[in-house]
Amino acid sequence: MRRLKARDEHALRELYDALAPWVLGLAYRILQDEDEAEEVVGDVFVKVWRHVHRHDPRRGPLVPWVLSITRNRALDELRRRRRWWRKADRLGQAQGPEEQLENPAPHEAAVPGWPLHREVHAALASLPDELRRVVTLAYFEGLSHSQIARRLQQPLGTVKTRLRAAHQKLTDQLAHLKDWLQ
Amino acid sequence: MTDWLGMSVPPRTPRPELKGRVLARAVARGRRWPLALAAALVVVTAGVGSAWWAYRTIEALGADRDRLAAHVAALEDTVSSFIHDPATRLIQVPVSTGGRVGSVTIFADSVRHRWLVRCDGLAPNARDQAYQLWFVTDQGMRPAAVMPMDRDQPMVMGLPLPQAGERVTGAAMSIEPRAGSLSPSGPMVFHVGL
Repeated sequence: MRRLKARDEHALRELYDALAPWVLGLAYRILQDEDEAEEVVGDVFVKVWRHVHRHDPRRGPLVPWVLSITRNRALDELRRRRRWWRKADRLGQAQGPEEQLENPAPHEAAVPGWPLHREVHAALASLPDELRRVVTLAYFEGLSHSQIARRLQQPLGTVKTRLRAAHQKLTDQLAHLKDWLQ
Repeated sequence: MTDWLGMSVPPRTPRPELKGRVLARAVARGRRWPLALAAALVVVTAGVGSAWWAYRTIEALGADRDRLAAHVAALEDTVSSFIHDPATRLIQVPVSTGGRVGSVTIFADSVRHRWLVRCDGLAPNARDQAYQLWFVTDQGMRPAAVMPMDRDQPMVMGLPLPQAGERVTGAAMSIEPRAGSLSPSGPMVFHVGL
Protein backbone atom coordinates (compact mmCIF):
# COMPACT_ATOMS: atom_id res chain seq x y z
CA MET A 1 0.00 0.00 0.00
CA ARG A 2 2.82 2.37 0.87
CA ARG A 3 4.49 1.62 -2.44
CA LEU A 4 1.24 2.21 -4.29
CA LYS A 5 0.81 5.54 -2.57
CA ALA A 6 4.42 6.35 -3.46
CA ARG A 7 3.45 5.83 -7.14
CA ASP A 8 5.56 2.71 -7.50
CA GLU A 9 4.52 1.20 -10.82
CA HIS A 10 6.00 -2.17 -9.85
CA ALA A 11 3.60 -2.23 -6.92
CA LEU A 12 0.71 -1.67 -9.30
CA ARG A 13 1.98 -4.55 -11.42
CA GLU A 14 2.09 -6.79 -8.36
CA LEU A 15 -1.37 -5.69 -7.33
CA TYR A 16 -2.65 -6.56 -10.78
CA ASP A 17 -1.10 -10.01 -10.58
CA ALA A 18 -2.72 -10.59 -7.20
CA LEU A 19 -6.16 -9.15 -7.83
CA ALA A 20 -6.89 -9.16 -11.55
CA PRO A 21 -8.33 -12.71 -11.53
CA TRP A 22 -10.72 -11.74 -8.75
CA VAL A 23 -11.64 -8.43 -10.31
CA LEU A 24 -12.25 -10.09 -13.65
CA GLY A 25 -14.20 -12.87 -12.01
CA LEU A 26 -16.48 -10.48 -10.19
CA ALA A 27 -16.97 -8.24 -13.19
CA TYR A 28 -17.75 -11.22 -15.36
CA ARG A 29 -20.14 -12.59 -12.74
CA ILE A 30 -22.09 -9.32 -12.88
CA LEU A 31 -21.87 -8.57 -16.59
CA GLN A 32 -21.70 -12.05 -18.12
CA ASP A 33 -19.64 -10.58 -20.94
CA GLU A 34 -15.90 -11.11 -21.31
CA ASP A 35 -15.19 -7.88 -23.20
CA GLU A 36 -17.21 -5.74 -20.84
CA ALA A 37 -15.60 -7.43 -17.86
CA GLU A 38 -12.11 -6.71 -19.23
CA GLU A 39 -13.09 -3.10 -19.75
CA VAL A 40 -14.14 -2.94 -16.12
CA VAL A 41 -10.80 -4.43 -15.07
CA GLY A 42 -9.04 -1.59 -16.87
CA ASP A 43 -11.26 1.01 -15.24
CA VAL A 44 -10.78 -0.49 -11.80
CA PHE A 45 -6.99 -0.44 -11.90
CA VAL A 46 -6.98 3.07 -13.32
CA LYS A 47 -9.18 4.16 -10.43
CA VAL A 48 -7.13 2.31 -7.86
CA TRP A 49 -3.92 3.87 -9.19
CA ARG A 50 -5.39 7.35 -9.22
CA HIS A 51 -7.28 7.21 -5.93
CA VAL A 52 -5.22 4.88 -3.79
CA HIS A 53 -4.48 7.79 -1.47
CA ARG A 54 -8.19 7.88 -0.62
CA HIS A 55 -8.10 4.39 0.83
CA ASP A 56 -7.96 4.47 4.59
CA PRO A 57 -6.56 1.19 5.99
CA ARG A 58 -8.29 1.92 9.30
CA ARG A 59 -11.65 1.65 7.58
CA GLY A 60 -10.96 -1.66 5.89
CA PRO A 61 -8.48 -3.79 4.00
CA LEU A 62 -7.44 -3.11 0.43
CA VAL A 63 -9.03 -6.11 -1.26
CA PRO A 64 -12.64 -5.34 -0.28
CA TRP A 65 -12.05 -1.74 -1.35
CA VAL A 66 -10.92 -2.88 -4.80
CA LEU A 67 -13.80 -5.33 -5.01
CA SER A 68 -16.30 -2.62 -4.12
CA ILE A 69 -14.89 -0.44 -6.90
CA THR A 70 -15.22 -3.39 -9.25
CA ARG A 71 -18.79 -4.10 -8.24
CA ASN A 72 -19.86 -0.47 -8.55
CA ARG A 73 -18.19 -0.08 -11.92
CA ALA A 74 -19.68 -3.31 -13.25
CA LEU A 75 -23.15 -2.41 -12.02
CA ASP A 76 -22.83 1.05 -13.59
CA GLU A 77 -21.97 -0.63 -16.85
CA LEU A 78 -24.90 -2.94 -16.49
CA ARG A 79 -27.31 -0.06 -15.94
CA ARG A 80 -25.75 2.25 -18.49
CA ARG A 81 -26.18 -0.16 -21.33
CA ARG A 82 -29.84 -0.56 -20.55
CA ARG A 83 -29.66 -4.27 -20.77
CA TRP A 84 -30.39 -4.71 -17.17
CA TRP A 85 -33.43 -6.85 -17.43
CA ARG A 86 -32.14 -8.92 -20.33
CA LYS A 87 -28.92 -9.66 -18.54
CA ALA A 88 -30.70 -10.25 -15.28
CA ASP A 89 -32.93 -12.79 -16.98
CA ARG A 90 -29.91 -14.42 -18.54
CA LEU A 91 -28.21 -14.47 -15.18
CA GLY A 92 -31.27 -15.95 -13.62
CA GLN A 93 -31.24 -18.73 -16.18
CA ALA A 94 -27.51 -19.28 -16.28
CA GLN A 95 -26.68 -18.96 -12.62
CA GLY A 96 -28.95 -20.19 -9.97
CA PRO A 97 -27.95 -20.29 -6.34
CA GLU A 98 -26.42 -23.64 -7.17
CA GLU A 99 -23.65 -21.94 -9.09
CA GLN A 100 -22.37 -20.42 -5.90
CA LEU A 101 -21.72 -23.91 -4.65
CA GLU A 102 -19.98 -25.35 -7.68
CA ASN A 103 -16.54 -26.74 -7.15
CA PRO A 104 -13.79 -24.69 -8.71
CA ALA A 105 -11.35 -26.11 -11.22
CA PRO A 106 -8.23 -27.46 -9.50
CA HIS A 107 -5.80 -25.08 -11.20
CA GLU A 108 -7.61 -22.09 -9.74
CA ALA A 109 -6.41 -23.03 -6.28
CA ALA A 110 -3.03 -21.65 -7.29
CA VAL A 111 -4.46 -18.16 -7.61
CA PRO A 112 -3.37 -15.83 -4.78
CA GLY A 113 -6.20 -15.34 -2.31
CA TRP A 114 -7.69 -18.74 -2.90
CA PRO A 115 -8.11 -19.64 0.78
CA LEU A 116 -9.96 -16.43 1.35
CA HIS A 117 -12.22 -17.24 -1.59
CA ARG A 118 -12.98 -20.59 -0.07
CA GLU A 119 -14.02 -18.97 3.19
CA VAL A 120 -16.27 -16.39 1.60
CA HIS A 121 -17.71 -18.97 -0.74
CA ALA A 122 -18.42 -21.26 2.18
CA ALA A 123 -20.00 -18.47 4.19
CA LEU A 124 -22.32 -17.61 1.33
CA ALA A 125 -23.11 -21.25 0.69
CA SER A 126 -23.97 -21.75 4.30
CA LEU A 127 -26.75 -19.22 4.15
CA PRO A 128 -30.28 -20.55 3.79
CA ASP A 129 -31.49 -20.34 0.21
CA GLU A 130 -33.90 -17.48 0.85
CA LEU A 131 -31.17 -15.39 2.43
CA ARG A 132 -28.58 -16.23 -0.21
CA ARG A 133 -31.04 -15.31 -2.93
CA VAL A 134 -31.63 -11.79 -1.63
CA VAL A 135 -27.93 -11.26 -1.04
CA THR A 136 -27.11 -12.39 -4.56
CA LEU A 137 -29.71 -10.12 -6.11
CA ALA A 138 -28.57 -7.14 -4.06
CA TYR A 139 -24.85 -7.64 -4.44
CA PHE A 140 -24.36 -9.09 -7.90
CA GLU A 141 -27.30 -7.53 -9.70
CA GLY A 142 -27.44 -4.25 -7.85
CA LEU A 143 -31.16 -4.47 -7.16
CA SER A 144 -32.75 -2.20 -4.60
CA HIS A 145 -34.84 -3.66 -1.81
CA SER A 146 -38.08 -2.90 -3.61
CA GLN A 147 -36.77 -4.37 -6.86
CA ILE A 148 -35.82 -7.56 -5.03
CA ALA A 149 -39.26 -7.64 -3.49
CA ARG A 150 -40.86 -7.38 -6.91
CA ARG A 151 -38.52 -9.95 -8.41
CA LEU A 152 -39.16 -12.48 -5.66
CA GLN A 153 -42.76 -11.45 -5.21
CA GLN A 154 -42.09 -11.05 -1.53
CA PRO A 155 -43.17 -8.25 0.83
CA LEU A 156 -40.62 -5.46 1.08
CA GLY A 157 -40.37 -5.95 4.82
CA THR A 158 -39.52 -9.59 4.33
CA VAL A 159 -36.73 -8.70 1.92
CA LYS A 160 -35.28 -6.17 4.34
CA THR A 161 -35.43 -8.64 7.18
CA ARG A 162 -33.72 -11.32 5.14
CA LEU A 163 -31.02 -8.96 3.99
CA ARG A 164 -30.39 -7.85 7.53
CA ALA A 165 -30.21 -11.43 8.71
CA ALA A 166 -27.90 -12.43 5.89
CA HIS A 167 -25.67 -9.46 6.57
CA GLN A 168 -25.44 -10.40 10.23
CA LYS A 169 -24.55 -14.02 9.47
CA LEU A 170 -21.91 -13.03 6.95
CA THR A 171 -20.45 -10.51 9.34
CA ASP A 172 -20.17 -13.15 12.02
CA GLN A 173 -18.48 -15.61 9.70
CA LEU A 174 -16.16 -13.25 7.87
CA ALA A 175 -15.14 -10.82 10.60
CA HIS A 176 -11.74 -12.45 10.95
CA LEU A 177 -10.79 -12.05 7.29
CA LYS A 178 -7.71 -10.07 6.43
CA ASP A 179 -6.01 -9.17 3.18
CA TRP A 180 -3.49 -11.68 1.97
CA LEU A 181 -1.67 -8.74 0.42
CA GLN A 182 1.10 -7.04 2.36
CA MET B 1 -19.05 -7.36 5.60
CA THR B 2 -20.65 -7.68 2.19
CA ASP B 3 -17.47 -5.99 0.95
CA TRP B 4 -15.91 -9.44 0.92
CA LEU B 5 -18.69 -11.02 -1.12
CA GLY B 6 -16.83 -10.33 -4.35
CA MET B 7 -14.37 -12.97 -3.21
CA SER B 8 -17.10 -15.59 -3.35
CA VAL B 9 -16.92 -15.55 -7.14
CA PRO B 10 -14.40 -17.93 -8.72
CA PRO B 11 -11.44 -16.08 -10.21
CA ARG B 12 -10.98 -15.84 -13.95
CA THR B 13 -7.53 -15.86 -15.44
CA PRO B 14 -7.16 -12.70 -17.54
CA ARG B 15 -5.79 -12.97 -21.04
CA PRO B 16 -2.05 -12.24 -20.90
CA GLU B 17 -2.28 -9.20 -23.19
CA LEU B 18 -4.80 -7.55 -20.86
CA LYS B 19 -2.14 -6.85 -18.25
CA GLY B 20 0.00 -4.66 -20.48
CA ARG B 21 -3.04 -2.80 -21.75
CA VAL B 22 -4.48 -2.15 -18.31
CA LEU B 23 -1.22 -1.09 -16.68
CA ALA B 24 -0.31 1.17 -19.59
CA ARG B 25 -3.71 2.81 -19.37
CA ALA B 26 -3.51 3.28 -15.60
CA VAL B 27 -0.01 4.72 -15.65
CA ALA B 28 -0.72 6.90 -18.67
CA ARG B 29 -3.65 8.43 -16.84
CA GLY B 30 -1.43 9.12 -13.89
CA ARG B 31 1.02 10.83 -16.15
CA ARG B 32 -1.58 13.06 -17.69
CA TRP B 33 -1.38 15.53 -14.85
CA PRO B 34 2.21 16.55 -15.54
CA LEU B 35 1.36 16.77 -19.23
CA ALA B 36 -1.74 18.83 -18.53
CA LEU B 37 0.29 21.03 -16.20
CA ALA B 38 2.96 21.50 -18.85
CA ALA B 39 0.31 22.30 -21.44
CA ALA B 40 -1.28 24.80 -19.09
CA LEU B 41 2.10 26.40 -18.46
CA VAL B 42 2.71 26.67 -22.18
CA VAL B 43 -0.68 28.29 -22.68
CA VAL B 44 -0.14 30.70 -19.80
CA THR B 45 3.35 31.54 -21.00
CA ALA B 46 2.09 32.11 -24.52
CA GLY B 47 -0.72 34.28 -23.17
CA VAL B 48 1.61 36.37 -21.04
CA GLY B 49 4.07 36.63 -23.94
CA SER B 50 1.33 37.74 -26.30
CA ALA B 51 0.06 40.28 -23.81
CA TRP B 52 3.59 41.59 -23.28
CA TRP B 53 4.17 41.75 -27.06
CA ALA B 54 0.84 43.55 -27.55
CA TYR B 55 1.69 45.96 -24.74
CA ARG B 56 5.10 46.74 -26.21
CA THR B 57 3.68 47.12 -29.72
CA ILE B 58 0.97 49.47 -28.55
CA GLU B 59 3.55 51.43 -26.59
CA ALA B 60 5.83 51.68 -29.65
CA LEU B 61 2.96 52.69 -31.91
CA GLY B 62 1.88 55.29 -29.39
CA ALA B 63 5.41 56.71 -29.33
CA ASP B 64 5.46 56.78 -33.16
CA ARG B 65 2.10 58.53 -33.19
CA ASP B 66 3.33 61.15 -30.71
CA ARG B 67 6.53 61.66 -32.71
CA LEU B 68 4.62 62.05 -35.97
CA ALA B 69 2.11 64.40 -34.34
CA ALA B 70 4.99 66.57 -33.11
CA HIS B 71 6.54 66.48 -36.57
CA VAL B 72 3.26 67.50 -38.20
CA ALA B 73 2.82 70.31 -35.68
CA ALA B 74 6.32 71.55 -36.50
CA LEU B 75 5.57 71.40 -40.20
CA GLU B 76 2.34 73.28 -39.66
CA ASP B 77 4.28 75.96 -37.81
CA THR B 78 6.80 76.11 -40.61
CA VAL B 79 4.13 76.33 -43.28
CA SER B 80 2.23 78.88 -41.30
CA SER B 81 5.33 81.04 -40.89
CA PHE B 82 6.02 80.68 -44.58
CA ILE B 83 2.59 81.72 -45.57
CA HIS B 84 2.06 84.55 -43.13
CA ASP B 85 5.53 85.99 -42.94
CA PRO B 86 5.63 89.51 -44.48
CA ALA B 87 8.87 88.53 -46.24
CA THR B 88 7.13 85.76 -48.16
CA ARG B 89 6.12 86.33 -51.74
CA LEU B 90 3.34 84.31 -53.24
CA ILE B 91 3.64 83.23 -56.84
CA GLN B 92 0.83 81.23 -58.33
CA VAL B 93 1.33 79.69 -61.76
CA PRO B 94 -1.55 78.10 -63.67
CA VAL B 95 -0.37 75.03 -65.57
CA SER B 96 -1.84 72.67 -68.12
CA THR B 97 -0.68 69.07 -68.15
CA GLY B 98 -2.15 66.10 -69.94
CA GLY B 99 -5.17 68.11 -70.98
CA ARG B 100 -6.02 69.24 -67.47
CA VAL B 101 -5.53 72.55 -65.71
CA GLY B 102 -3.74 72.81 -62.41
CA SER B 103 -1.53 75.21 -60.52
CA VAL B 104 1.83 75.53 -58.88
CA THR B 105 1.97 77.83 -55.87
CA ILE B 106 5.33 79.10 -54.62
CA PHE B 107 5.78 80.72 -51.24
CA ALA B 108 9.21 82.38 -51.62
CA ASP B 109 10.77 83.29 -48.26
CA SER B 110 13.53 85.82 -48.92
CA VAL B 111 14.66 85.83 -45.27
CA ARG B 112 15.17 82.11 -44.80
CA HIS B 113 16.08 81.58 -48.44
CA ARG B 114 13.57 78.79 -48.78
CA TRP B 115 10.62 78.06 -51.00
CA LEU B 116 7.52 76.19 -50.12
CA VAL B 117 6.01 74.76 -53.27
CA ARG B 118 2.56 73.27 -53.65
CA CYS B 119 1.40 71.55 -56.81
CA ASP B 120 -2.28 70.99 -57.51
CA GLY B 121 -4.04 69.33 -60.42
CA LEU B 122 -0.96 68.07 -62.23
CA ALA B 123 -1.57 65.05 -64.43
CA PRO B 124 0.19 61.89 -63.23
CA ASN B 125 3.48 61.21 -65.02
CA ALA B 126 4.18 58.42 -67.43
CA ARG B 127 6.00 55.57 -65.71
CA ASP B 128 9.48 56.66 -66.88
CA GLN B 129 8.97 60.41 -66.40
CA ALA B 130 8.79 62.96 -63.60
CA TYR B 131 8.14 66.63 -63.14
CA GLN B 132 11.31 68.56 -62.39
CA LEU B 133 11.31 72.02 -60.80
CA TRP B 134 14.08 74.44 -61.67
CA PHE B 135 15.46 77.58 -60.07
CA VAL B 136 16.06 80.20 -62.76
CA THR B 137 19.20 82.10 -61.71
CA ASP B 138 21.37 84.71 -63.25
CA GLN B 139 23.81 81.89 -64.01
CA GLY B 140 21.37 79.58 -65.66
CA MET B 141 18.88 76.84 -64.68
CA ARG B 142 19.63 74.97 -61.47
CA PRO B 143 17.78 71.74 -60.45
CA ALA B 144 15.44 72.40 -57.52
CA ALA B 145 13.51 69.10 -57.11
CA VAL B 146 12.41 66.04 -59.04
CA MET B 147 8.75 65.24 -58.41
CA PRO B 148 7.59 61.89 -59.75
CA MET B 149 3.83 62.05 -59.64
CA ASP B 150 2.14 58.68 -59.89
CA ARG B 151 -1.17 59.64 -58.37
CA ASP B 152 -3.52 62.50 -58.85
CA GLN B 153 -3.04 64.31 -55.58
CA PRO B 154 -1.55 67.58 -54.32
CA MET B 155 2.15 67.70 -53.48
CA VAL B 156 3.88 70.05 -51.03
CA MET B 157 7.64 70.40 -50.52
CA GLY B 158 10.13 72.77 -48.95
CA LEU B 159 13.19 73.75 -51.04
CA PRO B 160 16.40 75.49 -49.97
CA LEU B 161 17.55 78.11 -52.48
CA PRO B 162 20.89 77.71 -54.30
CA GLN B 163 24.13 78.83 -52.69
CA ALA B 164 24.65 82.53 -52.00
CA GLY B 165 26.02 84.34 -54.99
CA GLU B 166 23.38 83.04 -57.31
CA ARG B 167 20.38 85.26 -57.54
CA VAL B 168 17.16 83.45 -58.20
CA THR B 169 15.13 85.31 -60.75
CA GLY B 170 12.43 82.80 -61.56
CA ALA B 171 11.15 79.25 -61.53
CA ALA B 172 10.42 76.66 -64.15
CA MET B 173 9.06 73.14 -64.42
CA SER B 174 9.66 70.57 -67.13
CA ILE B 175 8.95 66.94 -67.76
CA GLU B 176 12.17 64.92 -67.48
CA PRO B 177 13.29 61.31 -67.20
CA ARG B 178 12.32 59.84 -63.87
CA ALA B 179 15.87 60.12 -62.46
CA GLY B 180 15.95 63.85 -63.22
CA SER B 181 18.25 65.92 -65.45
CA LEU B 182 21.07 68.35 -64.88
CA SER B 183 19.43 70.82 -67.26
CA PRO B 184 15.97 70.98 -68.81
CA SER B 185 15.65 68.57 -71.75
CA GLY B 186 11.95 67.75 -71.91
CA PRO B 187 8.73 69.68 -72.48
CA MET B 188 8.48 72.84 -70.33
CA VAL B 189 5.38 73.00 -68.12
CA PHE B 190 5.92 76.60 -67.06
CA HIS B 191 8.66 79.20 -66.88
CA VAL B 192 8.00 82.27 -64.80
CA GLY B 193 10.04 85.22 -63.53
CA LEU B 194 9.76 86.48 -59.98
